[in-house]
Amino acid sequence: MADLSVELCGVKLKNPVIAASGTFGFGREFDELYDIGVLGGVSTKGLTPRPRQGNPVPRIAEARGVILNAVGLQNPGVEHFIENDLAWLKGKGTAVIANVAGSTLEEYAGICARLDGLADIVELNISCPNVKRGGMAFGIRPESVREVTAAAKAALKSTPLMVKLSPNVESIAANAAAAEEGGADAVSLVNTFTGMAIDVERRRPVLANNTGGVSGAGIRPIAVRMVFEAAQAVHIPVVGMGGITCAEDAVEFLLAGAAAVQVGTANFTDPMACPKIIEGLGRWCDAHGVRKVSELTGALRLN
Amino acid sequence: MKDYRAVVQANREIAEGIFELTLSLPEEVKVRAGQFAEISAGGAHLLRRPFAVCKAEGKEITVCFQRRGEGTRLLASTGAGERLNVLLPLGNGFYLREEEKKIALVGGGVGIFPMISVLREYAEKKEISAYIGFRSASAVCGLEELNRASRLVAVTDDGSYGEKMNAVQAFEGDLRRGLRPDVALACGPLPMLRALKGVLEREKIPGFVSLEERMGCGIGACLVCVCNLTNGEHARVCRDGPVFAVGDVEL
Repeated sequence: MADLSVELCGVKLKNPVIAASGTFGFGREFDELYDIGVLGGVSTKGLTPRPRQGNPVPRIAEARGVILNAVGLQNPGVEHFIENDLAWLKGKGTAVIANVAGSTLEEYAGICARLDGLADIVELNISCPNVKRGGMAFGIRPESVREVTAAAKAALKSTPLMVKLSPNVESIAANAAAAEEGGADAVSLVNTFTGMAIDVERRRPVLANNTGGVSGAGIRPIAVRMVFEAAQAVHIPVVGMGGITCAEDAVEFLLAGAAAVQVGTANFTDPMACPKIIEGLGRWCDAHGVRKVSELTGALRLN
Repeated sequence: MKDYRAVVQANREIAEGIFELTLSLPEEVKVRAGQFAEISAGGAHLLRRPFAVCKAEGKEITVCFQRRGEGTRLLASTGAGERLNVLLPLGNGFYLREEEKKIALVGGGVGIFPMISVLREYAEKKEISAYIGFRSASAVCGLEELNRASRLVAVTDDGSYGEKMNAVQAFEGDLRRGLRPDVALACGPLPMLRALKGVLEREKIPGFVSLEERMGCGIGACLVCVCNLTNGEHARVCRDGPVFAVGDVEL
């Protein structure tokens, strides 16, 4: 049996499969279906300094092979998470990746300081497309990516920092490099692509928010290309995501340069997607003579 | 709840565009009235679709749905022997207390199917009156199951079957005749539920409504299918509902 463990900025993951933020809550519901301790990590629902109610419904729409969401960062606030969910989640034996968002540099620094030493990794969400002040403004230009990363890093004394990058940018390579310059220990990508779905009968957008973030199987080739470009641009680990539904999809991201992967939308179409992908990865490695899954990272041979 | 690989036993059109899908599960699953299942229609490329479980008997469950979009078109075209992934039981469901003896069911359109699940669970234990509204005679279905009620009033919007009125008007007719339930349970389009809420508040009759919303995960993790509670909070339709006390939820 292949060794599936990987190391991500000093944190050992039992395998490279992480449940992606926003699709998994804090893990409690999925833990009723399977022991979430089998996962490499769980990236929590995006946390903000104070509770947020999020957007009106409908918050979800579909198009061929993709979904659009505009939840708008509904969450109970970081204090509620620390008080009610953190200890339980840590007790499951999976890496706890606290996904955080703010609307000012001070808020980003404050929420990072609050989680320092508590979470295994802090994932900085500077790419939520669905709220006006959900950090997207910080995620567009390399200068502001560097600035918000540096502010977060200064607040984190012991917990590594992963910066989640938006794909809605001019150059993913430039933004990944900016995160590294700002002090990021890892980058994760891609967050969702901004999109719109229209109900032609009503001549209105399906989502109450009009636009939403596009994710799911249909975006995978674009995400793989962006992960490849980011991995070429930085020396820190890259965590890849975007439309992964099976083990082969995960291998694609690893070959493109990812040290680990996140699985999001597939949790909706198949609630057992993550454990199936982990099992499938083991089988794939065994069938291909791969002894350690980490050997696959960046093992792509270009034509 | 558990995710099952189910085998389609039968899939038939029981009224215009309305399908009854019977699935066989690998084991018996206890499903309470008003609970639902998330059924996969398009593999990894389409979200699952939530449907109330009308019947759960032994290892078999039945759901009914209207063919409307891509997901339900795919489901409508599945035939006996095909396999579908089914996650169930989901949601809270309807629950009747011992002291609630006289029950009114108010159902409109595809909202009649959760009412059938209530009849199957409670018809022998309670005195149930069912007020059921269809669009027209071509949409009438489920009468055999609905006839489990002590009293059934089926009406249509255009008068092509039963009287020309909606389910709430049928319910109000009986109220005027002095037939007053201890509690009313309802499922149907939002305008119907709003009208019913007005009647129940005026008459001071407690009621519970089952809501529909576009869902992501169906288990309470993704916060896609929220509704507004009257206390200003959000609730998850899939997890905290789909059944809510009519006074607790904004319609």
